Amino acid sequence: MTELYITKTSTRNPLPQRLADFTTLAEALDYAAQGVTGYNFHDGRGRLIAPLRYAELRQRALAAAYRLCRLGLKRGDKVAIIADTSPLFMEIFYGCQYAGFVPVPLPINMSLGNHASYVERLARLLRSCEARVAIAPAEMQSFLTEAGSEFELLFSGDGEAFHRLDANVQPLEPSRPDELAYLQYTSGSTGFPRGVMIDQATVMANLRGIVTHGLGVRPDDRCVSWLPFYHDMGLVGFVLGPMASQLSVDYLGAREFAMRPMQWLALLSRNRGTIAFAPPFGYDICARRLRSGDLERLDLSSWRVAGVGAEPVRTDVLERFAECFAPAGFDSQAFLPCYGLAECSLAVSFAPLGQGIAVERIDRAHLEHHAHARPASACGDMAVTRFVNCGHALPGHDIVIRDQQGQPLPERAVGRVTVRGPSVMSGYFQNPEKTSKVLRDGWLDTGDLGYLTPEGLFITGRHRDLIFVNGRNIWPEDLEHLAGRCQGIRHGDVVAFTAAAEDEEAVVMLVQCHLSDAQRRRDLVNELTSLIRSDFGVACRVVLLPPRSLPRTSSGKLSRSEACRRYLQDGGESLGLAPPAASLTGTGAP
Amino acid sequence: MPQHEQILERLMAHLERLAPPDSNLHPDIDLVSELGLDSVKVMDLMLDAEDEFDISVPLNILADIRTPNQLAQAINKLLESQ
Repeated sequence: MTELYITKTSTRNPLPQRLADFTTLAEALDYAAQGVTGYNFHDGRGRLIAPLRYAELRQRALAAAYRLCRLGLKRGDKVAIIADTSPLFMEIFYGCQYAGFVPVPLPINMSLGNHASYVERLARLLRSCEARVAIAPAEMQSFLTEAGSEFELLFSGDGEAFHRLDANVQPLEPSRPDELAYLQYTSGSTGFPRGVMIDQATVMANLRGIVTHGLGVRPDDRCVSWLPFYHDMGLVGFVLGPMASQLSVDYLGAREFAMRPMQWLALLSRNRGTIAFAPPFGYDICARRLRSGDLERLDLSSWRVAGVGAEPVRTDVLERFAECFAPAGFDSQAFLPCYGLAECSLAVSFAPLGQGIAVERIDRAHLEHHAHARPASACGDMAVTRFVNCGHALPGHDIVIRDQQGQPLPERAVGRVTVRGPSVMSGYFQNPEKTSKVLRDGWLDTGDLGYLTPEGLFITGRHRDLIFVNGRNIWPEDLEHLAGRCQGIRHGDVVAFTAAAEDEEAVVMLVQCHLSDAQRRRDLVNELTSLIRSDFGVACRVVLLPPRSLPRTSSGKLSRSEACRRYLQDGGESLGLAPPAASLTGTGAP
Repeated sequence: MPQHEQILERLMAHLERLAPPDSNLHPDIDLVSELGLDSVKVMDLMLDAEDEFDISVPLNILADIRTPNQLAQAINKLLESQ
């Protein structure tokens, strides 16, 4: 056996830097392949296992394109791939770019004991995207085979099986600027998948904005990332962005990060990384896992952009991180809050570079009663809410805050954040109904709430009703759907939401039911909490309410926001719940 | 199998640290739905297992593990295949 000595790709590149000024991803890779930079994959202990120069990637992607053509795929056909942090993913993703096919990254499973629900989820995604080909890393192939058994796939297999396929060397026609670059399934709604359609021109527009305006990318930059490739921040921000600006990237798997978060920082230290992003959860887990002796091994002084996004920015978490890692050279001015969503490729706005977290203190009572963000006076003991400045829209994009009727609101009025510009998706795949709900006359309704000031955008409420726990996004629909599996619970009897109390997020499920027997009520609460635990890996507070007590909107739909508001207001009393002492609630603790 | 027992014993010691106090730990307890380990604690447990037994636990085995017994079996298999 020959032992190969492998080295990481260099940061320096003799090739003149071009900042994403390409018309397609294939064209961007053609250019990057002329230099010496590329992707580097590391194992859980931070050892380099596979460097992949853009030059080599291009060769492998072309070979993949020939194989896909030979399978008989038609232009625009979907190629699903379990998006492990691996060279295989890159090869297939870019292979599609060279032949006019559409890659669809599928999620990885990181939970215990959920074989069946993971397979179900993959099957739903394969069905939703109308996949013709499904590829997985060898160790995950069995899940995909199971999930794909009922579909007519032209090919389903692992990397090795794919490489054994014959190739047709023939002239390739890469995806054109007006064709799809990829389908991005939004952060994991399992029962109701939404495939965001992003064209080549669309993603290129966003990448240009990100690397020039957002990050001010320079030739000596180097990226470090553990973000999964099936999330927009991992894929667009740390696969496509660095490639389109010819930067080297060091990768650590998401699971490896979750186990040994310090490896992320160690990798950055060792390779003099300059750009790394994480949701607040990522910074939190690093600060929590810091052990004595770790700091001496870290040198974070090269880290000039520490991006924060994907979840509401929690300032306390970032302050703690900055404090913990200041001795290792971390500069809190490196924090870069930003705002975005997959429906706008990735990024909508960035705070100004090098300023750190800029916070506004807002008069809470005034905000609640007038939906208006009035700065709190410096003195006095009024209740204050803090919001983070997420900066101005990328060039060529506009942000307008609107009321429920869609009318633009003035500065500092809180309303729905809407976005227009060249990075906005063309719609949800095969779902005109959901598309028409969020896209109107070129304006994307983000579902988030916020306000604008001359300083920029401030987000006050989360993406629709999305629940954020431990760095994961959970759709309330999925929790509610799961509850429907319990006997005696109908779909319209349940709402789920998060109730933020101080800095802890609690997941709450309200269930209206007829049960009166105390034991049966207890059993139901226990059944629900353990179902939710095993399927979603989160603790949930399940609360039973009398029939017909959940609030509805004027159109008769259950209103999560109103239920949440009332629940927080008086612990559910106005929802018909007995005062806390007498009520039956449970978090399912054994 | 003696090795299985040894692995299990060491796993249970780690679990005791991760589990809520007063939990009724036993080798066939469902780690997630009964013991209530959240996703962060599951990763903690995997880290303990990797460090304790000097193995690398592949992601794909998680989906079929529900109990300490099953985890011990999986670790045993990994050790044997090394």
